[in-house]
Amino acid sequence: MAGKGKAEETPAPAEKPVSFFGQHFSYDLRILSFGVIQQPTDSTQNPSNNFLQLQRYIGDGELRPDLRLSLDNLDLSAKPRARLDYNAWEDGSRRGDSEWEHDFFVNEWLARVKVRENLFVSYGRENLQWGPSYLFSPSNPFFQDNGRRNTYLEVPGMDFGRLVWIPGAAWSFSFIANTDPGLNKTTGPGAFLSATPPPPFERTYTIKADYTGREAYASLILSRREDAENVLGFFGGWTVTDAILLYAEGALTQGSIGLYPVEERFSPFGASMETTEKHASTLDPTILLGASYTFESKGILTLEYAYYGPGYNTEDAETYAALRRRGAQSFSLGGPFAGLGMETLGQTAQTDLRFLRRNYAMLQYTQTNIRNNIDLTFRWAQNLDDGSGQLTTLLSYSLGKHVELFSVGTFAAGGKNTEFGSFLDYQVMVGLEYTF
Amino acid sequence: MNYLIKRPYAIVLGLAFLWCLPAFSPPLHAEMSPKEILVKADEARGNLEGMEWEIDIASVEGGRQQERLFLVKARTFNSLAEILAPANVRGEKILMLDRNMWFAKPGLSKAVPISPRQKLIGGASNGDIASTNYAGDYKVVHATDDEFNGERCYLFDLEAVDKKATYDRIKYWISKERLAGVKADFYTVSGKLFKTATFEYEHTVDVNGAVRPFISKMIITNAVMKEDVTTMRYSKAKFGHVPDSTFNLNLLVK
Repeated sequence: MAGKGKAEETPAPAEKPVSFFGQHFSYDLRILSFGVIQQPTDSTQNPSNNFLQLQRYIGDGELRPDLRLSLDNLDLSAKPRARLDYNAWEDGSRRGDSEWEHDFFVNEWLARVKVRENLFVSYGRENLQWGPSYLFSPSNPFFQDNGRRNTYLEVPGMDFGRLVWIPGAAWSFSFIANTDPGLNKTTGPGAFLSATPPPPFERTYTIKADYTGREAYASLILSRREDAENVLGFFGGWTVTDAILLYAEGALTQGSIGLYPVEERFSPFGASMETTEKHASTLDPTILLGASYTFESKGILTLEYAYYGPGYNTEDAETYAALRRRGAQSFSLGGPFAGLGMETLGQTAQTDLRFLRRNYAMLQYTQTNIRNNIDLTFRWAQNLDDGSGQLTTLLSYSLGKHVELFSVGTFAAGGKNTEFGSFLDYQVMVGLEYTF
Repeated sequence: MNYLIKRPYAIVLGLAFLWCLPAFSPPLHAEMSPKEILVKADEARGNLEGMEWEIDIASVEGGRQQERLFLVKARTFNSLAEILAPANVRGEKILMLDRNMWFAKPGLSKAVPISPRQKLIGGASNGDIASTNYAGDYKVVHATDDEFNGERCYLFDLEAVDKKATYDRIKYWISKERLAGVKADFYTVSGKLFKTATFEYEHTVDVNGAVRPFISKMIITNAVMKEDVTTMRYSKAKFGHVPDSTFNLNLLVK
């Protein structure tokens, strides 16, 4: 049965007429301020913190307005940002240094046209993410960082053209062209506190098909990078019961842009990092399986296992470790191979692979709205191959209707030359967010 | 002579009896099946083809108060709820596509799948802010008559047709006069009463030319901790076509 018009209510006092701008423009304004204390690891990747030169202390203040103009067939939005940060070093060659930096940038913007009720065309800078997984999002060909590690740091946007067609309630199809890296680079404001440096940019074209059923959903994503890497991605989820969710996400990759350690007899280090898999015809699978259970108390326990096919096997890992060790020694000692050592450490730090190894697990517990104002998340990520792990804690505390106190902690476990132990022993962020 | 005087009286009395008959006969919708009555009751709580409304939810739980203002857009089994106030949670969204649910908020890169058990606020579940589909999700295992607040009611004992319904068992009082649910008791699978709700219908809506009552307030009381009360006030209801794009994840996070 269809109703029509408005429901009749008790008449309210006459309202003032709203201007065109008032009717169509909206905004949110947030001010963020936080401090970070972190301890760089003295590892073969970053010997005495002289290679990566990571700060010990960081102070940050950010203005985050989100602006929106919604007309009948046109949506415009922009997220300009202003940032001021203070950095201080206590480790390595920059010990005692400090500096202020400021940035003004537009992290995201979008112009979207509704061509028809079921057809949308847009272009803009977006943080385009999808999929149900926490550990990482293997079906997404654009972003290495899925934004789940630290929800208070914004993922830098990239430029996309999109066409979204919605033929029915259950189906939708998207054509996506990633035309520019935008802010998602290893330098510039997008690199601020970035844990996953992006790979070199190449234009990527993607077709995505989405299906939503009564209690399950699934998506298929076919992508091609201009340097000939092809990826077939997928994800899906199933609401098994009121409390249980099951999901999966993955990709089949033909070719890999990643760097792999190759033994070389004539190299001073006995090996070097090469893109040996770029034009490979073999297919590398990546699969992530996840399950979550919501307790009566509303806490949520989530478990994920991921197999990352492009990662290093045991032999590769040993060659990589040895190469990194020799690179670090040459870099630290100076001498004729110091430059080659630096170059090698740059490659071992940025392999353009999402993970170094192949088998990972994650366990997460989340409880929201504790005593009406506390949200808590504990996440443990484990590298099942090298035994290293990482604990992440996210805590937020609402101080009234506008202010939120938050903290994000990351703690590494395992040896200092393991994957999770190579960069930071720990990083603790504490901050305040004010929403107008 | 006496016969000629009595006959007109008999006719008048008969006509008077026929005129008064509807006051004594049960309503016509008593001929409706329990499922048809449930369909009517669902309409009064928003199970219509496309609607939008604001819901102000105020909860008292463990002595602590919390308030949220939602804008809800719904069509059949799909709904999108966006928090309008207070400021620190403004912009958070819950998308429900039948049994699939996602949570999105400003700052979150992507929507997070959540389970139907996830609480909304106070005693309100995510399923409470959208339209109901008791006629589809439950079967009537027992029907009787009862009274609530001086109003004659059908009392239906409802059991979930499968494990996918929000509640396992509901006792539902539906006003015979208005064909709108006025009280509900919600039970766990073990048969334990865990919350009770009452409903008010101060709004009306035009349904295919007929004026029907429409929900204005729902009060949820915890069956064990009776001081834990959640009040939901419905307002600014608008009816009309809600397009598929409203419920599409590709367009949800801006």
